[in-house]
Amino acid sequence: MTYRFNFRDVFAAWEFLLDGLVLTLQLSLVSIVCGLLIGIAGAAARVHGGPWLKTLVATYVEVIRNTPLIVQLFLIFFGLPSAGIKFDANTAAMVALTINLGAYSTEILRAGLEAIPRSQIEAGQALGLSGLQIFRYVVIFPAFRLIYPALASQFVLLMLATSVVSQISAQDLFHAASIVQSRTFRDFEIYTVIAAAYLALALALRFLLGLLYQLVFVRR
Amino acid sequence: MIRELALIDVLYLIAAMRWTLALTAIAFLGGAFFGLFIALLRIAPFAPARWLGAAYVNAVQGTPLLAWLFVFFFGLSIVGVTVSPWIAAAAAYSIYAGAFLGEIWRGCLQAIPQTQWEAGASLGLSFSAQLRYIIVPQAFRLAIPPTVGFLVQLIKNTSLAAVVGFIELTREGQLTTATTFRPFTVYLIVAALYFALCFPLTQVSRRLERRLHVAR
Amino acid sequence: MSLVELKDVVKRYGNNTVLNGVSLGVEKGEIIAIIGRSGSGKSTMLRCINGLEPIQGGSVAFDGRIVNDPATDLRELRQHVGIVFQSFNLFPHLSVEKNITLAPKVVKGMQQSEARLLAEAVLRKVGLGEKIDAFPDQLSGGQQQRVAIARSLAMQPVLMLFDEITSALDPELVGEVLKVLEEMARDGMTMILVTHEIGFARKVANRVVFMHQGKIWEQGPAAATLGNPNTLELETFLSAVLH
Repeated sequence: MTYRFNFRDVFAAWEFLLDGLVLTLQLSLVSIVCGLLIGIAGAAARVHGGPWLKTLVATYVEVIRNTPLIVQLFLIFFGLPSAGIKFDANTAAMVALTINLGAYSTEILRAGLEAIPRSQIEAGQALGLSGLQIFRYVVIFPAFRLIYPALASQFVLLMLATSVVSQISAQDLFHAASIVQSRTFRDFEIYTVIAAAYLALALALRFLLGLLYQLVFVRR
Repeated sequence: MIRELALIDVLYLIAAMRWTLALTAIAFLGGAFFGLFIALLRIAPFAPARWLGAAYVNAVQGTPLLAWLFVFFFGLSIVGVTVSPWIAAAAAYSIYAGAFLGEIWRGCLQAIPQTQWEAGASLGLSFSAQLRYIIVPQAFRLAIPPTVGFLVQLIKNTSLAAVVGFIELTREGQLTTATTFRPFTVYLIVAALYFALCFPLTQVSRRLERRLHVAR
Repeated sequence: MSLVELKDVVKRYGNNTVLNGVSLGVEKGEIIAIIGRSGSGKSTMLRCINGLEPIQGGSVAFDGRIVNDPATDLRELRQHVGIVFQSFNLFPHLSVEKNITLAPKVVKGMQQSEARLLAEAVLRKVGLGEKIDAFPDQLSGGQQQRVAIARSLAMQPVLMLFDEITSALDPELVGEVLKVLEEMARDGMTMILVTHEIGFARKVANRVVFMHQGKIWEQGPAAATLGNPNTLELETFLSAVLH
């Protein structure tokens, strides 16, 4: 009746797991960068855009934020081919994750933009700066500094959420874990090891983001 | 055998929502239980307790929910502990929700100014009495909007249970896709159904938040 | 031609009429002090002059150009009108130098070396030459306000507007700011100040304008009007302020 814990089988597959880890990191990085760019554009659109643009971006944000990531992923990977758009698993994963993070980033950045007091903008106007110049020199840096913690948390959440792409057989860390499980049947060991791996990744990412904050936003 | 997508399929999908809601309710109850405990741990005047609470929160918030689901669904049974799917799901989601709710509620408790605690202490109240009569009632009001917001997250996260074979809306969507071969339409409907559940709650949470700020 | 000309200006916030037919002319080189209760419309009138407030009736003209005309290039106009706010509004993420050189560089295309020289010059004028590389949060309120003045001066305006610039300062810091204003007045700058500093108004201003209920209630030469108010409202206001 006793179960013999055997972590050796799990660790023996470390190269395989490493490949999965690499893809997880790639997916995370690409999605974070692209999602952030979408977020900046989206937030600017929501604060300064015309009514049509505002509604469009608001709809995008609400639809993404009120539906699960896995359903978005399935729609893109399984659903789009019938509309003629075929992605391979890794690309579909990237697209889904980017679109997802883009919506959350838009909201977070928008809050940052709206938190800048009107008086700062007036000061810029009074000096003769144009709207774009005010956005660039007066608003965007303090706004970013303000919402950095929330954005950083969202990035970590995204990195963890990449595990979902294993369900469309993208070869990420979680998928690698499933393969190892199917070979060794060491469910408990493999998934606890994976959980620990993700935890290490999350802590590392948080640390790096904290470091970035110190470098960019803290005066020396 | 491939079948045409019919109204009956849509009805089955809608019916599957009840499992989504049931799972959400269980997750929330379990999470609330853990969360309250964690929140109190984290503000305890006893450093090891705070450390323990922080460690729990960081551990759970730093791991994917999928990992917890797999550990409880597959890991436990391999080790020899048999659990029903509902127990496994309840355990995984409660641990997950407990960490997040604990954080939210801790934030609300800490948002109550130190002066409130001092006023209670000056009146001779013990820590637990201050907590019970002064702090928690105020923190409760603060906590409602973000808690409702998290409920939306929970509803969306129940979709992951499909991965371990648990029958709820997303799983039903997968099964329907398998028989009708219409993934685009099916998943669009599934997304719309989640949206119908989540969006109203999101709006409620926003309205509550606005009302809270106006009242302060 | 007056430098600033307001004719029958009307301004409403929703149902609240803040300016109820205000007419005022300001000549080059004049120093005008605007006084009155909160809500009398003083700040609003000031902000109409550089177009920060749109108006619903009447006209505002600066140097012959109609400010409230939608065709007017407000950005161009604002390079000639400086404004200093009650809450300083320095850009917290930029050093003092960058706060001052931002507009000259970005709007006027000035080069960095020239801009820094300009910054040093205007900072010397306000007595803060050594603070050029400091950041706003390292300065006292009075120092921040003087930097704000320097920032506006760097654009070399012909008119300076001051919106209660000492109201947010600790009493002991007010003097250093008023000193800067006195010097600017001596240098011949046209200045319109919304202020509570009656003593300062009496000493430095040519003309005092008393606003009440959205109208110019009384105006005249500073010392004479403040010493001998003609209207009951001004008399009451002065006795309340100078208790």
